[in-house]
Amino acid sequence: MLVINCPYCGERDQSEFSNGGEAHVARPKNPETLDDKKWSEYVFIRLNPKGIFNERWVHTHGCRKWFNAIRNTSTDEILKVYKLNEEPPSIGEFDTTLKTPSGEPDLGSGNFTVKK
Amino acid sequence: MTALNNNKNSRVTDSNKVSFIFDGKKYFGFDGDTIASALLRNNIKIIGRSFKYHRPRGIYTCGIEEPNALVQILSEKDEPNTRATVKKIYSGIKILSQNRWPSLKNDFGYINNLLSPIFSAGFYYKTFMGPKGFWKNIYEPLIRRSAGLGKPPKEFRSKSIHHHHNVDIVIVGAGLNGLLAASKFIDTDYDVLILEQDNILGGSLNSSQKIKTIDNLDTHVWTKKTEDLLKKSKNIKILKNTLATSYNQINHIIALEDNSVGKPLASHKPELILHKIRTKHTILSNGHIERLISFRNNDLPGIMLAGSFEKYIFRYGVIPEAEPIIFTNNSSTFSLLKSLVDLGCKPKAYIDVRDESSIEKKTKTILKTNKIPFYFSSEIEGCDGNKKLETISIRNKEKQIEKISGTMLCISGGINPDVHLFTQSKGLIKWDEKYLTFKPETAFQNTITIGSANGSFNFKRIIEEINEKLSLFNINELKIDLEIDCPEDLNIMELWETNNEKKSFWSKSFIDIQNDVTTKDLHQAVSEGFDRIEHLKRFTTNSMGTDQGKISSINSLGIVSKILKKNISEVGTTIYRPPYAPLSFSAIAGRSTYEFYDPTRKTSIHSWHVKNRAIFEDVGQWKRPWYFKKNDKETMYEAVQRESKELRNAAGILDGSTLGKIEIKGKDALEFVNLIYTNAFTKMKPMTARYALMLGEDGMIKDDGIVCKINDQHFIVTTTTGGAAKVLSDMEEYAQTEWPHLNVYLNSITEQFSTFNISGPKSRAIMRKVFSDVDFSNDKFPFMSFKKVNYLDTEVRILRASFTGELGYEVYVTPKYGLELWEKFFRYGENLGLIPYGTETMHLLRAEKGYIVVGQDTDGTVTPLDLNLNWMIGKNKKDFIGKRSLSRSDTSRKGRKQLVGILAVDKSKIIEEGQHVVKSSSIPSKIKFPVKYLGHITSSYHSPTLNHYIAMAMVEGGNDLIGKKLYVTQNKSSENISVEIVKPVFLDPENKRLLS
Amino acid sequence: MKEIFSISGIDIFQREFNQIMIRGNEHNQLNQIVNKEVSLNLPDKNLQIINNDNILIARHSFDQWNLIYFNDQNYRDVLKLVSNLNSNNQVCASDYSYGQVYFDISGEKKNYYLNKLTHFDLRLKKFPVNTMAQTLIARIDCSIYHLKEKYIITCNKSFEDYFTQRLADSINL
Repeated sequence: MLVINCPYCGERDQSEFSNGGEAHVARPKNPETLDDKKWSEYVFIRLNPKGIFNERWVHTHGCRKWFNAIRNTSTDEILKVYKLNEEPPSIGEFDTTLKTPSGEPDLGSGNFTVKK
Repeated sequence: MTALNNNKNSRVTDSNKVSFIFDGKKYFGFDGDTIASALLRNNIKIIGRSFKYHRPRGIYTCGIEEPNALVQILSEKDEPNTRATVKKIYSGIKILSQNRWPSLKNDFGYINNLLSPIFSAGFYYKTFMGPKGFWKNIYEPLIRRSAGLGKPPKEFRSKSIHHHHNVDIVIVGAGLNGLLAASKFIDTDYDVLILEQDNILGGSLNSSQKIKTIDNLDTHVWTKKTEDLLKKSKNIKILKNTLATSYNQINHIIALEDNSVGKPLASHKPELILHKIRTKHTILSNGHIERLISFRNNDLPGIMLAGSFEKYIFRYGVIPEAEPIIFTNNSSTFSLLKSLVDLGCKPKAYIDVRDESSIEKKTKTILKTNKIPFYFSSEIEGCDGNKKLETISIRNKEKQIEKISGTMLCISGGINPDVHLFTQSKGLIKWDEKYLTFKPETAFQNTITIGSANGSFNFKRIIEEINEKLSLFNINELKIDLEIDCPEDLNIMELWETNNEKKSFWSKSFIDIQNDVTTKDLHQAVSEGFDRIEHLKRFTTNSMGTDQGKISSINSLGIVSKILKKNISEVGTTIYRPPYAPLSFSAIAGRSTYEFYDPTRKTSIHSWHVKNRAIFEDVGQWKRPWYFKKNDKETMYEAVQRESKELRNAAGILDGSTLGKIEIKGKDALEFVNLIYTNAFTKMKPMTARYALMLGEDGMIKDDGIVCKINDQHFIVTTTTGGAAKVLSDMEEYAQTEWPHLNVYLNSITEQFSTFNISGPKSRAIMRKVFSDVDFSNDKFPFMSFKKVNYLDTEVRILRASFTGELGYEVYVTPKYGLELWEKFFRYGENLGLIPYGTETMHLLRAEKGYIVVGQDTDGTVTPLDLNLNWMIGKNKKDFIGKRSLSRSDTSRKGRKQLVGILAVDKSKIIEEGQHVVKSSSIPSKIKFPVKYLGHITSSYHSPTLNHYIAMAMVEGGNDLIGKKLYVTQNKSSENISVEIVKPVFLDPENKRLLS
Repeated sequence: MKEIFSISGIDIFQREFNQIMIRGNEHNQLNQIVNKEVSLNLPDKNLQIINNDNILIARHSFDQWNLIYFNDQNYRDVLKLVSNLNSNNQVCASDYSYGQVYFDISGEKKNYYLNKLTHFDLRLKKFPVNTMAQTLIARIDCSIYHLKEKYIITCNKSFEDYFTQRLADSINL
């Protein structure tokens, strides 16, 4: 269970939050002008990278406010939270090398508890 | 030979005798004894049969790592697989040995041992392949009977609770290192929680004499003094009998406290407490675990780990045998040797695999002075005996086999830091060539490992290590003097298994004693290609028992690395996963069982419903009246038929308080509502209402409800009972994330109103009586309009709407007056025929009228167009959620499933919900091609008004099939029911009743 | 006030109460309206509580406040305040009276018992006096207000039976 730092309520247990998937996917302004392919990309397609990921969270059982977070999906560390009206921090702020607890490869996972 | 008591310096005293029953016979132990120590005191050495081969087994260890001594506790609702080495006895405890029939001494399943050549690694995978059906009917029941451990209990065991902690520091293990670390935090600002699995503090100080004095105090005295100081310190809390089982992300630790140690279960107190701890830093001082050595018949009762033997002497005051034989590959057995000699016992032999020069002088001196037979550069080839250890074959330095007799053998194959918790925390471990073990290397979280858990086996360095590792905290340096009586170094020599001379079915060299995995199985698995350690583990079931191979998993890595001619660090380990030791389901469930399985919500009318024989239905967390039993004999079917009929004749009232209600207000409320719902609200007049649909961005129906417009800046909407929370959160999501420029605010007002749905031809007359100053005429109060009416010191909102197809009203009142107003309705309405009705009747009535229920007739793949609800779509609106998806190629294609009505040709036939709609009149007995499925029945009821069954279905191209004949499948019959496809409105298609 | 538990270390009272939920963004404007009506200022820090003998105002987040009356109130007056607040287009005020229940929890063991039901960090250094939090207690949404020497916990009325049973259970077990 993670601890998430809600920008409005402070650090709380993950059980109070819900994840909202990839952040910064804006709803198209004029949906009618989009062809099926473009529209379905908005509706159905989201990124799921290994490593640094901008994602949305909502403090469901607290203040009910949405916010964004940068999480390293391979270590589950939440590196930064920021409000919806704040600019996303530049990726350069973070170590983007895939630093995983067990030095796993870029793709997939593995059994590497032993330090080489 | 028999066991002796050690009264001099043990932690168990013989002041209180305790009687207990083992396999039907009464024995005595002492207060504080574990089942194992009490049995050893009574010279009982066989206490179970093994998992697969049913070989006799005894007590192998003295703690949580025990692979063998598992028992069933009859006096505790048959709790199986209880570790005899952990569970404390109390007066009257009834214990049964496991996995034997008919008795421990004569076990029928022992035949498996003779058949063992066929039971080798992968046996189940290879053997039980076919023929079809054999697995379910023959193999599985057979295997289940003969394999396994205890019998599962039939009853739920006890109440367990959860307890949360938020602290700055957790110290796991209150042995010497844990206590030293903890004492540094006395009277500081850090909140410290100490977890100790034993019921006394001190750890290895209690189980050996390796440390003589601490600060010139006897170790007992020092431990007591330190405990008192810790207890006095307000910032420190000690939890005894508490085992840390999981180390999760962000320093979240799960620990299990056994609250009933040494006493019977009590129904009014929790037996287990699951502590959920969130900390900033974790100090792991959870010690080490000794490992075994594999040799022929290394599972015979009478063989025990050397450190465990020593622990029985000092922790429990029982010397299991005065003249044991010791077999070792390292120096940790020195203290056992010395202690035995100090207690006046004389080991029968001391067998050391190391050459004479690498064995420290102290050991050799003791052996020499006491004339103990000393075999250096020797190893144990194997053991023999009938159900217990009798003879030991030693391969001496000349590689000759020498036989000696003996009943107890203490072995030590080395020491492993207990790295389970550390690796669970995602810390990295590293192979240490000097100590031949994995040691913690790099922490991933705020984890500090100290003492033997860190692989620091040298007592001389521990004070320095603690001061250094805890230097990040703002606390004082530790200055303590230790008087040590053991070799400084472990000086271990590699030895995982010894060669067998004797080959017979009975001769086995075990690696995993609990799961009956032999070293031969490891060889075989590797030769069959399972050379990756995780594969090998699963193929052989090595270290997959309830002990998780705590005393043997490193040995198996050693053996495999030899076979593969690789370093152990290249072979790697399997992943250590939580929990550290088996965790009772009861502890995990905590109080979320029975009455607290799920939080329950009740309306303000609940007590009335109970009084009036309501049978309740769970709708989400709500308790809703399902139907009201007129008398005890009335069945549900009868009640629902009666309620439906009486409502259509007179009037009924439903408690609709559970409907979600949301207040929407703000400058841009109108625009917001237009974007959220499919309908057009711009031209809607104030104080009117509309039935509205909410879609997902994929165009599928998500929820429906009624939108009431107070003015363009203020709306009140209702949602389905189950959808309330989701709808509000979806609205909030759009308001906050997509349309922050809209000035709009949302408040959930679900709980602010008790809601009644009054419906039926007499409802207007009843409303007139209850609200005498309101004009309910059709002109002044038309369908889908609402009014605010004064009521006592509050306001009541009345909406004319209906979900039954009859004339109907919804009344919204503060819960303060909910029950009062409800009763008032009955005072005025009873003689007009007003009855209470439940959700089942509501569903029946709406189906007669062809109204849908979101989630029953729809399933997340249904668009409004599929339900012919095109009239609800504001086509001229530029945008709303899901609009664009309604013209996607898939949602606009022909042949989608559409909502239709279904009537059986033979009206007496019952159509079941969930049955398939098909083209053929029967299902052929031999199916060559799959029968094409056209759709399924979503709703089906017997209509008392029409006096036959009515059904709704989602059917492919349903709109074009109206008037056609199709078939509906039946349960347990290959004959299908002939049906006619009709429009999904069975009653009052002209809305005469609705608008009357 | 109904006493539902009073043993060594913890006292729990329960009562019906009046409450208003206020949402809006124009802090100054909203503050003027509220101040005129109840002569208290809106707290300007998240999770902060300001109170006098009669009323408590807590800030849940940047656009949400609630107002709790400590004493019995004329319901008509409360509803009038709601409609006065709502006369502003950019404010959404909802009456939250009677739809929620109010528990008054005091005693030196209150944290011990409550931590059987919630993961929330109740330590004074993390949850100081005059702050509030919305969190999960006994798996349901609750608001908890830390006043001097006591907590006020509010939850939806429909959970009243469940919640009181859970409180009693956690004290008994």
